[in-house]
Amino acid sequence: MILVTTVVEVVNVKKTYMLGKIPVNALCGVNLKVESGDFLAILGPSGSGKSTLLNLIGALDKPTEGKMLIEGVDISTLNDNQLADLRRRVGFVFQFFNLIPRLTARGNVELAMSIPGLGKNERIKRAEELLETVGLKERVNHKPAELSGGERQRVAIARALANNPRFLLMDEPTGNIDSKTSSEIIALVNGLNERQGVTTIVITHDQRIASEANRTLHMLDGLIVQEKVNLP
Amino acid sequence: MGVVIGIAAIVALLSITQGLQNTITVQLQSGLATDTLIVYSGRSFGVGAGVGIGAANSGFKLLINDAATINELSPNIEMTMATIQRTGYIKSGEIARVTNIVGVDFAKYKNIYSSTFVAESEEIPQNPENQMVVVGKRVNDPWKSGTLFCSVNDNVEIVWTNATARPPRNETYTGFVVAVLKEIGGFGIGGPSDSNVYIPMSYAQTFFKTDEANMIIVKLTDSDKSTIDSVSKAITEAFNEEVSVVSSTAVLNILANVFSIIQLFLGGIAAISLLVAGIGIMNIMIVSLMERTREIGILKALGMRSRTVLLVFLCESVIIGLIGAAIGIASGWVLANVVAMVFRGGGVFIGNEAAGTGGMAITPVLTPIVFLGALGFGVGVSVIFALYPAWRASKLKPVDALRYE
Repeated sequence: MILVTTVVEVVNVKKTYMLGKIPVNALCGVNLKVESGDFLAILGPSGSGKSTLLNLIGALDKPTEGKMLIEGVDISTLNDNQLADLRRRVGFVFQFFNLIPRLTARGNVELAMSIPGLGKNERIKRAEELLETVGLKERVNHKPAELSGGERQRVAIARALANNPRFLLMDEPTGNIDSKTSSEIIALVNGLNERQGVTTIVITHDQRIASEANRTLHMLDGLIVQEKVNLP
Repeated sequence: MGVVIGIAAIVALLSITQGLQNTITVQLQSGLATDTLIVYSGRSFGVGAGVGIGAANSGFKLLINDAATINELSPNIEMTMATIQRTGYIKSGEIARVTNIVGVDFAKYKNIYSSTFVAESEEIPQNPENQMVVVGKRVNDPWKSGTLFCSVNDNVEIVWTNATARPPRNETYTGFVVAVLKEIGGFGIGGPSDSNVYIPMSYAQTFFKTDEANMIIVKLTDSDKSTIDSVSKAITEAFNEEVSVVSSTAVLNILANVFSIIQLFLGGIAAISLLVAGIGIMNIMIVSLMERTREIGILKALGMRSRTVLLVFLCESVIIGLIGAAIGIASGWVLANVVAMVFRGGGVFIGNEAAGTGGMAITPVLTPIVFLGALGFGVGVSVIFALYPAWRASKLKPVDALRYE
C-alpha cells in the first residue's frame, strides 16, 4: 500500500509585486493541494502567475497573503536560514538551465550536494550516477558551453535530483530545446515520477508533457481556472 | 589590479627609501669614525646637540694652531688634526680633473681613519716629502674601466685658483703619486674619500698660503655618548661658541629622523594610491557581483545560506587580496631594483661637483615589516572594500537574483 501525504498545500495565497510604484497582483487567492507522487502540469498564458506560484512552492519567495504549507510548515513563518534549508529538499529545474558556466557537468551536480555538506568522494560518485541516469555518462567533464541545450537541461535535472528532493519543480523544462530532445526530457521526467515516485510539478506550454501528467491546472490572471485529472 | 598597483607603489617606495637610508648610513659610517668629532668654524643653529655647520658667520676663523689648543682641553682627547681643503685640479699629461685637494698630516690621518686611509699597494709615508701625493681610487681609476688617470710614481700637476690674489691666479706645483687609496665607496664629513687628492699638511699651508683650517678632526679615547657630549661642550665653550662640533652619532641620528619623515611622507603617498586602488577594488567587486547575480540566485535556490554567500565573497576578496599583494610586492621589488639600477647606471652624485666622481649604489631593502605590512594591507583593503558588495549579495532574494539579466 502506498502512503499518500500532502507535500504542498496552498491556501488562498496572494502575491503582489510592485512594478515601480504600481502594485501588480500576480496571484489572487490560489488554493491547491499536491500529494506525494503527483505529476502536476500547470498551463496558462504568460503573466497568468504560473512561475510566481512555482517560486512560492520552491520557497524562493514568500506569499503576500495566505498560507503556503510545504510538508505541513507555513513558509511565511520561516526565517532566511530555515528557508535555505527547505530549498535543499526541493529540486528546481529552470527554463534557462541556470548552470554555473565555470563548472563541468559533474561540478554543477556536485555543487548542489556540497551545500548540505556531503563528502567529496560521495558527491563525485553520486554525481556520476545521476549523470548516467540522465544519459550523460560520457559528458561528465564537459562545461555547459560544450553541451547542447538538451544536455544542459539533463544536467539541470541531475542537479535537481542530487539531494533526493521530496519534489521536483520544473519551469518550462522543454521551452528552450528542440522537439526531439523535448521528447527525451519528457520521457526522463515521466520515468522519474513513475519509477522513483518523485512528486513533480511542471509549468509548461507543451501539450505532450501535459498529457503525461496525472493532473493539469489552467491558470489565468492569477487564479486556477480549471483543474483536470488525467486518468491513466 | 588595483591591489597590485597600490602594493607595488608602497613596496617600491619604501624599499628604495630603506635602501637609500642603509646606503647613506653605511657610507657615512665608513666616512665617519664613531670616536671622532669634527670641529668647524661658525655657530651651530641648534638642529641637535652640537650639530649644524657654519650657520652663522661672525668672521671667526679656525686656525691650524687651534688643533693644539683643542688637544689640551680634555683628557678624553687622544689627538687632534687640522685639515685644509680647496677645490682644484689634478693634471696628468694633458687631462685635468676637478678634485678636492686636502692637506692632512698623513701619519695622524692614518691613525684616525685606520680602515679607510689605507694604500692599495704601496705604503703611505709617515713623514712625507712635500711633493708626495696620495690619491683616492676614483682619481686613479675614474671611469671604473681600468683606464687609469694616474698611478703610483706618476708626476701630476696640482692646481688651485687663488681668488684672493689680484688678479686671481692659478697656483701650481708638480708632485708625484706615492700611493693610491683602497676603494672606500663612502662619503663622509672629515673622513677620506675616493675622489680626493691628499697632500702633506706642512706643504698645504705654504701652497694654499693660509693658516686657516677648514676643520679640525678630534680623535677621542672612546665613543661613549658622555665623552662625546663633554668634549663637544668643552670645545664650543673654549671658542665662545664660535665653532660647531659634529659627531658621527649625531649625524646618523639626524639622518635616521630625516629618513623616518621621508618614509612617512612616501608611505602617505602610497596610502593615497592604495585608497584609490581600494575604490577600484570595490568597483570590481560590485561589477563582479552584478555579473554573478544570477549565480548567487542559483546558489541560494540550491539552499545556500546568506551567511555562506557572504563568506564566499569575503573569501574571494581575501584570495584576490593575497594574490594581488603577492604580485604587488614582487612587482614593487622589481620596480625598486630597476630604479636602483638606473641610479647606479646614471650615477647619483652626492656633494659638490668635485666630490661627484663617486656614484652611489642603492640596494633596495625589503624589510619583513614592509613585506608583512604590504601583505596585510592588500588583504585588508580587499576585504574592507568587498564587505558592502558581499553583504548586498548575501541579502538578495533568490527569486530576484534569478530574474536578473
